[in-house]
Amino acid sequence: MLCEQFEQILEQQDDGALPKPALAHLETCEACRALSADFGAIHDMALELGAEAIAPPERIWVSLRNQLEAEGLIRSPQAAPPSASHAGHGWWAVFQRPAVAGVFLGLVLAAASMVGYWSNIPQTAAHFSQLAPQQEASSVPSADSVFKEEVLTVGSDSIPGLQRQDTAVTDSIRRNLQIVDNFIAVCEKSVREQPDNQMAREYLYGAYQQKAELLATATNRSLRGGLQ
Amino acid sequence: MNASSYYPGAANTARTPYLRAASTCLAGRRAARARNSARVGALGAVLAGFVLAASPAHADRIEKHFAVQSKPKITVRNSNGRIQVKAWTKNEVLVAWTNASGKSVVETEQAGNRVEVSTRMIEDSVSADEGKTDFEVTVPVESELNVRTDSGNVTVDSVHGDMTFDTVGANLQLSDVDGYMVVKTIDGSLICTRCSGKLEANSISGNVQMIQPTLDSVRVQTSSGNIFFDGSFLSRGIYIMKNFSGTIEVHFASSDSFDVNATSLKGDVINQATFKPDTHGTSHPISKWGHSLFGTMNEGHAKVELSSFSGTIKILKRD
Repeated sequence: MLCEQFEQILEQQDDGALPKPALAHLETCEACRALSADFGAIHDMALELGAEAIAPPERIWVSLRNQLEAEGLIRSPQAAPPSASHAGHGWWAVFQRPAVAGVFLGLVLAAASMVGYWSNIPQTAAHFSQLAPQQEASSVPSADSVFKEEVLTVGSDSIPGLQRQDTAVTDSIRRNLQIVDNFIAVCEKSVREQPDNQMAREYLYGAYQQKAELLATATNRSLRGGLQ
Repeated sequence: MNASSYYPGAANTARTPYLRAASTCLAGRRAARARNSARVGALGAVLAGFVLAASPAHADRIEKHFAVQSKPKITVRNSNGRIQVKAWTKNEVLVAWTNASGKSVVETEQAGNRVEVSTRMIEDSVSADEGKTDFEVTVPVESELNVRTDSGNVTVDSVHGDMTFDTVGANLQLSDVDGYMVVKTIDGSLICTRCSGKLEANSISGNVQMIQPTLDSVRVQTSSGNIFFDGSFLSRGIYIMKNFSGTIEVHFASSDSFDVNATSLKGDVINQATFKPDTHGTSHPISKWGHSLFGTMNEGHAKVELSSFSGTIKILKRD
């Protein structure tokens, strides 16, 4: 067997064992042994990635928080104990800078994608079906918990875009936020009741994405004082 | 690069001939007043009343012309007000606008074949109604358009070129346009009449209607809005229409050739077509959730995917 033929077999091979001629070639060819080992390592790593819930390392959150505090965009709880009203609006202060808002939107969309990715993995379907507000034992916030806490719980009252003079736009955004929130609730209920209903899950991801985009639109309109 | 701002009340030579005529007329009457002050005074008062009634303060129509070559790119950003875009055969872009309150500023910029027009409130406290600015934009037939507005209707007629629209509540009417059209709106509706090319539309609560389209690619998604398609499914065309709770209504002719895949998770699928089983070898496992319909009409040259969460899907035969 030639190396080219071996490579073709290797590429087409799933999880099963290699055919005998390929195994015989492997014993005699060092280059193909190395190639086969690389493929095996990639395959194993992919399985590990799929099996684990992906949570960004804690240092990412600490670093992000420090950066935002350094820029004066947020304050630590010790420095400024949040009042009841501040708790609802404080994090929106982050959005007062377009760059930060853009970064956050990116995180939100990435988180939404990750939520979708996890739930496509059969082993984690049970985890996704537990959409009730439960916190994980880990002290590290997972991307989906951040997404759910920071975005899905946002109400229309706390959006800076709704402080504008344009009541038609304000009403439109409020009304549509309500619509999207209702869709999310309906989809979550469906997914809880039918965890293997792929179509319900797709609608749920779509609704998450729509909410993120709607918040981005509201923020964008506000940050720029209307349209620019 | 050529950029300029227009402030209400600033000297401008592009005022309408109507106002210039009225102004000349009033000047003439002032001269006549020296000869017959009582009679002309009364006449002047009547004329002044007429002018004020016909043209409220600051509601001057201002025009600006931009010489361009073929296929210019025109961007219009407006907060509130009507935007009408028409096509003509000249290599020139004409932008005309009115702002009744005089509390918004229109800024224009040209860099070669790129023309940008945007409005800005003169101060933060200006309300949307006060800042309302209506635009009439006339462009070469082959032009690229980029329109962004919050509220106020947008109409585009007979323009051929790629177009993007980003609105909050503005309704959009496209007629006889041809190109790659991308529409993003929150609750504005879209009516696309005799549109050709490709259409991507995304809305939360707006309705989308495609009337007599000759589109070969349709990707329309709305959450609570309705989707209506009454046109031909072109050979090799792909038509994807998806909503959450509204109605999706598709009208077909018996000569149309398409594969269909229609699913409503919690709603109904109403079908008047006689489909053959999919002849292209694609297997469609029967879903235990919702109502689904798969099949082929004639040779199945086009692909039609209709999907709803709780809305009704109607596949109806055209009269």
